[in-house]
Amino acid sequence: MDGPGGGLKEMRGNKEVAVKPTGLVFFPAFDWAISPTHPEREERLLYTRDQIFEEGIMDLPQIRQYQPRLAGNKDIARVHFCVPNIEAQATEAHRIAAGGALVIADALMQGEIKNGFALVRPPGHHAMRVVHGNRGFCNINNEPVMVEYMRKKYGVKRIAIVDTDVHHGDGTQDIYWHDPDVLFISFHQDGRTLYPGSGFVDESGGPLARGTTLNVPLPPGTTDRGIMYVLEELVLPVLEEFQPDLVVNSAGQDNHYSDPLANMKFSARGYAVLNEMLAPHIAVLEGGYSIETALPYVNMGIIMAMAGIDYSNLYEPDYHEQKFREDPLIKDALKDVVGELTGIFHHRHELAEETRRTLGPMVRRQRRIFYDTDQIDENQVESLKICPDCPGYLAISSQAAGSRGRYNIYCIVIPPQGCPNCRDEAYSLYDAVRKQPPDAYNILYLQDRITDEYRHYDYNTREELTVE
Amino acid sequence: MLVGIDVGGTYTDGVLYGENKILQMAKHPTQEDDLEGSILSVLDELLQDRKASDLQRVVFSTTLVTNLLATGGGDPVAMILIPGPGLNLKQLEFFPQAYLANGAIDFRGRITEPLDQEQIIKIGESIKEAGLNKVAVIGKFSNRNNSHERRVGEILQNQYPDLDVVRGYEVSGELNFLRRAVTTYYTAVTRDKWTYFATGMQNALRLRGIEAPLSILKADGGTMPLDVSLQFPCETVFSGPAASVMGAFALTMNGRTAVVVDIGGTTSDLALILEGKPLYASRGAVIGGHYSNVHAFAVRSIALGGDSAVRLQEGQISIGPERLGPAACFGGPAVTPTDAYNVLENGSIGLPELSVRALEELAAQAGIPAQKLARDIVELVNSRLEASIKEMFKTWEEEPAYKVWELVNKRRVTAEQVIGIGAAAGAFIPSLAERFNCEAVVHRCAPVANALGAAISRPTLSLLLHADTRQQIYRLDREGIGGEFKASHLADAKALALSGLQEVAGKLGIGQYADRYEYFLEEQFNMVRGWSTTGKLFDVGIQIAPGVIDEFEGVQ
Repeated sequence: MDGPGGGLKEMRGNKEVAVKPTGLVFFPAFDWAISPTHPEREERLLYTRDQIFEEGIMDLPQIRQYQPRLAGNKDIARVHFCVPNIEAQATEAHRIAAGGALVIADALMQGEIKNGFALVRPPGHHAMRVVHGNRGFCNINNEPVMVEYMRKKYGVKRIAIVDTDVHHGDGTQDIYWHDPDVLFISFHQDGRTLYPGSGFVDESGGPLARGTTLNVPLPPGTTDRGIMYVLEELVLPVLEEFQPDLVVNSAGQDNHYSDPLANMKFSARGYAVLNEMLAPHIAVLEGGYSIETALPYVNMGIIMAMAGIDYSNLYEPDYHEQKFREDPLIKDALKDVVGELTGIFHHRHELAEETRRTLGPMVRRQRRIFYDTDQIDENQVESLKICPDCPGYLAISSQAAGSRGRYNIYCIVIPPQGCPNCRDEAYSLYDAVRKQPPDAYNILYLQDRITDEYRHYDYNTREELTVE
Repeated sequence: MLVGIDVGGTYTDGVLYGENKILQMAKHPTQEDDLEGSILSVLDELLQDRKASDLQRVVFSTTLVTNLLATGGGDPVAMILIPGPGLNLKQLEFFPQAYLANGAIDFRGRITEPLDQEQIIKIGESIKEAGLNKVAVIGKFSNRNNSHERRVGEILQNQYPDLDVVRGYEVSGELNFLRRAVTTYYTAVTRDKWTYFATGMQNALRLRGIEAPLSILKADGGTMPLDVSLQFPCETVFSGPAASVMGAFALTMNGRTAVVVDIGGTTSDLALILEGKPLYASRGAVIGGHYSNVHAFAVRSIALGGDSAVRLQEGQISIGPERLGPAACFGGPAVTPTDAYNVLENGSIGLPELSVRALEELAAQAGIPAQKLARDIVELVNSRLEASIKEMFKTWEEEPAYKVWELVNKRRVTAEQVIGIGAAAGAFIPSLAERFNCEAVVHRCAPVANALGAAISRPTLSLLLHADTRQQIYRLDREGIGGEFKASHLADAKALALSGLQEVAGKLGIGQYADRYEYFLEEQFNMVRGWSTTGKLFDVGIQIAPGVIDEFEGVQ
């Protein structure tokens, strides 16, 4: 049966113009859970399904529904070093969640939709570049998989990812730490009071990408008003100056006042206003575990705002404005944070030049990374080439004992903007490390983002695979 | 003996079936302003030499409700919506006389806002002042709890006893407030006129001494007894295409994947049978320009039929969309695809020499031989049909899935058969099937397969059960049936759905088919609060799927 006829039209002045719909991938993964009683379980989007199906919102001409696909190995290899291999970390559910974002990306870039929302699970924003296991309910980071696909396939240059989840998007931050063309802004409940315990103001990007990572820790109890303040005073002006080709909302829903894992006071209508103001090209669902009281309404709010549908009648059944007075101290705290971050952002070019003058040829950082879900401790040493012409290649050595045993791996990243010198040097490094004795490492990886080629060398079998 | 009558836009077709064969067929022009007359004239021809008492069953499909909706000929209806939080319905101009009432129910069926009795009384007063006496009442999540809808009905009928109220839960219980609103509204709009028509038909049959049960074909390819149809008039829309699909189904019944092509005079209707099961439209039938929750087959109509006019425009052949009259071989004014077939395949439709003459004339204008023109026309018809069929398969493949298993196991389907229905089927189906590299099926009875489909379709019934072990309640999506649910296993929910099906089927007078049930949905969710499981939610779907009645034993 064909649908009710006629595309969507809108009056502009006295002319009627065609308006593109908002794309929606709804993939609740009703047969997938981390464990039966885990927050990330089958039931998570059940009431959201009931609400959006009952509203009939997908029948409206403003919405076009898409079916997700499975992200391929190459889509994942473009972002992650999966230990010991992609199959071990990316289940079908992970591939579908990431693939849902890819479908929206294609629909956007092919001009079928004006914007889109991948309402998918499982989430991804705690998954870092190296993946030994599950961190914060995440294995595969959906937004970077999508963004890197868009850079490769459509040549998108400048990207902004705004992480609106209540938890710091430490995985996404890690992936873009050294990338000056991807602006990552995360606002989240203060890391001193919530998982993953990071996301402070001084985490502002790697030596050559200072100021393109901006973290806004919010005091517990921040309401719609505080978040709007951050949006108006920091996020929107910074975006205006950065001029991204693509804005992505990493759309967690756990800032909501009813979320059981956090302590914020954001409302469904607040989320709608946020998305209207931010006007992301693509939103991808992240966390949010108040499955009955928040998610059905917050998801509706995001869909409505993105599609330009009036959301003035959207509210949680238990919402009363009086309940949400904000402590005036919160505003004062936010004012300081916004001021400091604005300064860092404005000085980002000078900070990078300063690094180039004073540091090099390699800059190292050593870290311990904890995987809460899988109880894994990772030790990592990352070395960045301080290059005068590009963001520099990256070499990472990492050791961790996961459920599949202990792995010691070595990874080399040639960034998409990499210069010929860095590329040559990175390949020489790859060859040199490969020649090391079999007990040096278990696996050696090479990520060549210039040619879109991904190698995986196993010291035990002496086999080198290229990811297809 | 069974009688099936299908009222189409151009013709009304009828068959009399018995002893494994079609005993009689009839085809009369449809009188739009006298559908009863059209049906009865076909019926009388079918029964000329037969005893009315030998009839076991009479089924017809009709366009009455479709016509009422198209011409705005139904009754004026006031709409009371109880939307609660969500879309702002003030913006939706679906219904001319709509009132928004306070009150809300959530997805678990909990009342989150009370009704305002005073407000309902005031709305009733405005409805009376506007001179309306029919009201449709529909609340969001009334399928999970219908108490607001019921209470509005009570208040209105207490205050204004002559108001005729239709409540949403009486019409449908599937999730989709907007579709339920549309279905409830158009039920109220058409119910009286449908009742008048149905009662007239009943009386006319009784006058002819026919005591056999009279049923109506629905859009989902199933039948319902005439008296049941009085409550669900909207179910009768799109029953014409359903009759064709069921005719094709009855003539094959081989469990294969097939495309059904019903070539009419001005349009062709396309449908899919996937591994023996007719495919439903995923969003329900479109009524009055809006999606409803009337279950209908996924039928795609294209403006291209055996009588579509062929023209030359700047040397290019164009076909349709209009029909200027019958084909040239029947004395019509223009070359048609039917004439092209006559010329190309030495066909014998009407007077073939008229086809030849008409084609030669048009071919001369184009400066090409008549044979080439004929070939080009048939080619064009087939490529348009082929493109539409491919789109239908693609649409089906792109239907959203909500489970990992469903998505990973999606597979592509290909047609194994093209089944032709309608008088012109023989002309086009074989070459169309070649394009799909599959078998063409054009049964002798193809010209009246639609009427046969009506005669032999069995009743259908589809129920959804939603149970919540935490609240210990269950609901069926039909007429507000529900109650206590003390069990805790999916098997218990399934058993309850089955007994619901048996009970409803019994009430509808189709109890003898209740054992043909199948489950089409089985979902269970653990409800976890804190870190422990506190209950379960079950969704179970059970149905008597479309099929043929026991008395049908094939057509020789």
